[in-house]
Amino acid sequence: MGTKFKYLSPEWAAEVQKRAGEKLTPEKMKHITSSMLTVNTNCPDGKDRAVYYEMADGVVTEVSIREGKPPKAEFTITADYQLFARISRAEVKARSALMSGKMKLKGPLVKALKLSPLVDRLNEVIATIPTEF
Amino acid sequence: MPRKAISNKDPYFVDCKGRVKDVQAAMARQGIDVYLGSRLRTLSWTLDAFCPWRSYVVVPPKGLPTAITFVIDAARVADDSWLDEEHVQGYGPMGGQDQIALLTGLIEPHLKGGKGVVGIESGMGNYLPEGHLTQYEYECLKAALPKAEFRNAHDIVDRLSLIKDQGTVNRFREASRIVDVGHREVLKAIADGGYRGMTETEVGGLAAYAMRKAGSEWEWSFTGGNEIASGYRTGLAAGACTPASRRALKAGEALMVDLHAMFKLGLGDHSHNYFLGRATKRQKWHANNFVDIVKLCLRTYRPGISPSQLADEMQDFCEERGFAEYMVPGFEHGIGVTGDEWRIGLNDGPFPYWTNPDHRYQKGEMLICAMQYACPEENIGFRYENPILIAEKGCEPMSRFPLGVEVV
Repeated sequence: MGTKFKYLSPEWAAEVQKRAGEKLTPEKMKHITSSMLTVNTNCPDGKDRAVYYEMADGVVTEVSIREGKPPKAEFTITADYQLFARISRAEVKARSALMSGKMKLKGPLVKALKLSPLVDRLNEVIATIPTEF
Repeated sequence: MPRKAISNKDPYFVDCKGRVKDVQAAMARQGIDVYLGSRLRTLSWTLDAFCPWRSYVVVPPKGLPTAITFVIDAARVADDSWLDEEHVQGYGPMGGQDQIALLTGLIEPHLKGGKGVVGIESGMGNYLPEGHLTQYEYECLKAALPKAEFRNAHDIVDRLSLIKDQGTVNRFREASRIVDVGHREVLKAIADGGYRGMTETEVGGLAAYAMRKAGSEWEWSFTGGNEIASGYRTGLAAGACTPASRRALKAGEALMVDLHAMFKLGLGDHSHNYFLGRATKRQKWHANNFVDIVKLCLRTYRPGISPSQLADEMQDFCEERGFAEYMVPGFEHGIGVTGDEWRIGLNDGPFPYWTNPDHRYQKGEMLICAMQYACPEENIGFRYENPILIAEKGCEPMSRFPLGVEVV
């Protein structure tokens, strides 16, 4: 058994960034420059916790865990911790969760539709990380 | 006496009297004394006439409904509909003849002592001609009928109009046949270099002329009639709305032709795509992706499946084939007689006044199988639209124009 990373821990975030750097080329990520915040509500300890992603020219330059007042991002996606956990395990697709209303998106929708396959690629990478929820 | 003889032997016969009786039965069950319809879909469905001006229909608990429309069009609506002149009134800017005065006069007799329940049609829509009761109309009616209770009741008509009767289905089939005449005319005109020197508006116009000759009453879509897009306009991000522009057609580009016809309020809506003059290997790769997913989608529509289930299956296919980023993640829109173009079924989903993603299609429902492929960075996109009837097994696509993306 290899190392398991605790979901939403700084170590997990560092692993996401490492694997994204290895597996997602700037070409695959369409050289996008954007930022995204995923707000996990109702974490097991009762807190809300966010993951901040920053991308520059198709490279994931930052993945960090934030508590308290989150930074501004181009896109903010809010959902229950359990739902994000299921997405991270590739049990649910982000698009389906958005269309069912269980997940909320804040940010320009036309651009979000263009970027959604790239987010799917990032989620596929996240799903490869051995994670403890 | 109705001005027109209505025969149930006519293939396009719709039983408007029966529809009104069904509305009245539902009103009785829901404790509604009188129903005030204002949405275009309700007017089309109950009156069987096109009502382009602000119009209303007042359905009493028993007997015939009365329509109210702008006085300049009232005689024509009466002539087209199954109702007689007494039951189609005209409003205008004269004492006692404004909209609120006429509505109050029709509603009040059904409220005992002024008390009772008035069913209204309130809500929101992304579809411009929806026709919900406005805040101003509501406030005026509330002031005129202070003891009445106004209750939102559009679900009555939504539920009753969901499954299409044979006459309505036949109207849609005829509208689709007419649309196919338009497509054949466009193909004839643009083939063999005929597109050179033509503009998008011209393509829309020549299709309109061919369809009118074939019996279409109107290129009904409020999105600019026939939607035509060429070049980069075919591939605008998520862009499934392209009123024809004055852009000239150019060799090496894609052309999207989305035609609309109307036959007795039944709607034709079919899109076909071309390459002008030539196509690169990469352009053909996009086209093959698109044609394959359309084929799969048409094979997948069936009773029991839901919009979200179908979208998941289509999305899996796109991902497998590596073109998910180009597919707009929606595969349908609603359709009914004119004025009913957007939401499918009832207002019972997670997003108010949008299609419920978990709606289960049933035999006899109609929708538009609608798909948009868009690759903005390569200035290319395609659209497919076709009215389909959910059948016992699978679906019946109404346009028969052969599916493909041809180089012309």
